[in-house]
Amino acid sequence: MAGRVLALQVGTIAACLVLWEALARGLGGPTAVMPPVSAVLLDVAANHQVLLRGVLRTLTETVLGFAAGAAFGFLAGAAFAESRLLERLLLPLLVVSQTVPVIAFGALVVIWFGNGILSKMVIAFYLTFFPVTVNTLRGLLSVDRQRIDLMRSFGASPWCLFWRLRLPFALPAIMASLLLGVSLSLVGAIVGEWFGDTVGLGIMLVQAMYAENLPRLWSVVMACGVLGAGLYGILAAVERRFVWWGREL
Amino acid sequence: MSVPAGEPIIELAGISKTFGDRDGRVVAVDKVGLRIGRGEFVTLVGPSGCGKSTLFNIAAGLADPDPGGEIRFAGTRRAGRDLLGKVSFMPQRDLLLPWRRVIDNAILALEVEGMRRADARRKAGAMLPEFGLAGFERHYPHQLSGGMRQRVALIRTFLFERDLMLLDEPFGALDALTRTMMQRWLLDVWQRHRRSILFITHDIEEAIFLGDRVVVMTARPGRIKLDVPVALPRPRPAHVATSAEFLRIKTKLLDAIEEESMKSFMAAGA
Repeated sequence: MAGRVLALQVGTIAACLVLWEALARGLGGPTAVMPPVSAVLLDVAANHQVLLRGVLRTLTETVLGFAAGAAFGFLAGAAFAESRLLERLLLPLLVVSQTVPVIAFGALVVIWFGNGILSKMVIAFYLTFFPVTVNTLRGLLSVDRQRIDLMRSFGASPWCLFWRLRLPFALPAIMASLLLGVSLSLVGAIVGEWFGDTVGLGIMLVQAMYAENLPRLWSVVMACGVLGAGLYGILAAVERRFVWWGREL
Repeated sequence: MSVPAGEPIIELAGISKTFGDRDGRVVAVDKVGLRIGRGEFVTLVGPSGCGKSTLFNIAAGLADPDPGGEIRFAGTRRAGRDLLGKVSFMPQRDLLLPWRRVIDNAILALEVEGMRRADARRKAGAMLPEFGLAGFERHYPHQLSGGMRQRVALIRTFLFERDLMLLDEPFGALDALTRTMMQRWLLDVWQRHRRSILFITHDIEEAIFLGDRVVVMTARPGRIKLDVPVALPRPRPAHVATSAEFLRIKTKLLDAIEEESMKSFMAAGA
């Protein structure tokens, strides 16, 4: 059964690719507007070393920015859950920070942090930490009174309460924000490269655009898609395996 | 924690609890006095919303009573909060943690106390057959029936070995047959370990069958209405429920509870 579904899924994708090829050729339009998929794949093959370097660079930026954003978001959310005062003082600032579109200060970030990996990390971080903060806070506060009371009746310390009850209770919500965050981190890394860099998928997109190299543009778009799907897939697998109890709470 | 013989394990005197502020005050519990002797099994019945659970939370140290009352635990006067960690408390809902297997839910209290996980698991594992859970230690709560979940919660309560156990309708969700089995089993465990038990139930027969004393609470505000000793010899066979003494107590309790239920029904309707 699972095998048949997989076969159908692969078949559907293959059919889409064939349709793409047929439309691009059959419509007879200039291939400069919509290159056939074969041209894109040929470009990927011819260009695979540069493409791979770009993928690795963008992957590094995404993962580092995501990790920093997830860690900061978790700590901020946990701190807010512990202290209402801290939440009232700082959460509004974080909310305001998110109302500024990242594009607006991308140039600033590059000037401050240089046009290396660090500035892209910062942008990925900026996009990731907020959803993680909010979901960590919400998750930690959503534990019902009776469960907390039961643990207290066992003589549990606040620390023990956090590790044995609150945190596992919040994990499904935190995990949902990580899935969102990893996609945002990739966007952040790609956009960050637009403000100045020499390696990476983002800068390759810009170069292909200026060169009006459509097969190249599509091959980089595909690489971005594969990277995004891969990162999301890994986290989704982690969720299914280790944080499966969201529906049981 | 050993208590000298004859000394009550817990003694509540003049305990009240008021909820709300100036706009709407609700007196949940009003000047309740209750004394549970060492090794005694006391059952508590009363109409719904009579403050039984509030009283439980106070006895478990989870809620502070209004100033003025007195709690003595094992002979010493205590503030409410001092009772946290001293009383084994089982709420109505099983409250199992969905991410923990049966065995790890059972050892939760032991883990909180700092026992090594392997030792705690061994200890809990030995109790599973007695609770009808043999072979289920590696299951997760969502794979169990309601009755089995309740039994896991009971193991968790029993492993938290304290002189006083507070059980809030622990068998309410079980089917009649399992319920009878669990009652006998509970009496057996109680007689072997001589722990003091305060047991809330809606079921009058259960209250008489289990208790040394049956305490009836009034409709809100909760007060003690009746405190009836059950002078039935133990061990009590199933047919004790047809004895004259049993029926005499049952009649007395039914009358009292009906009067109170009527009051709370009328109050709700008004």
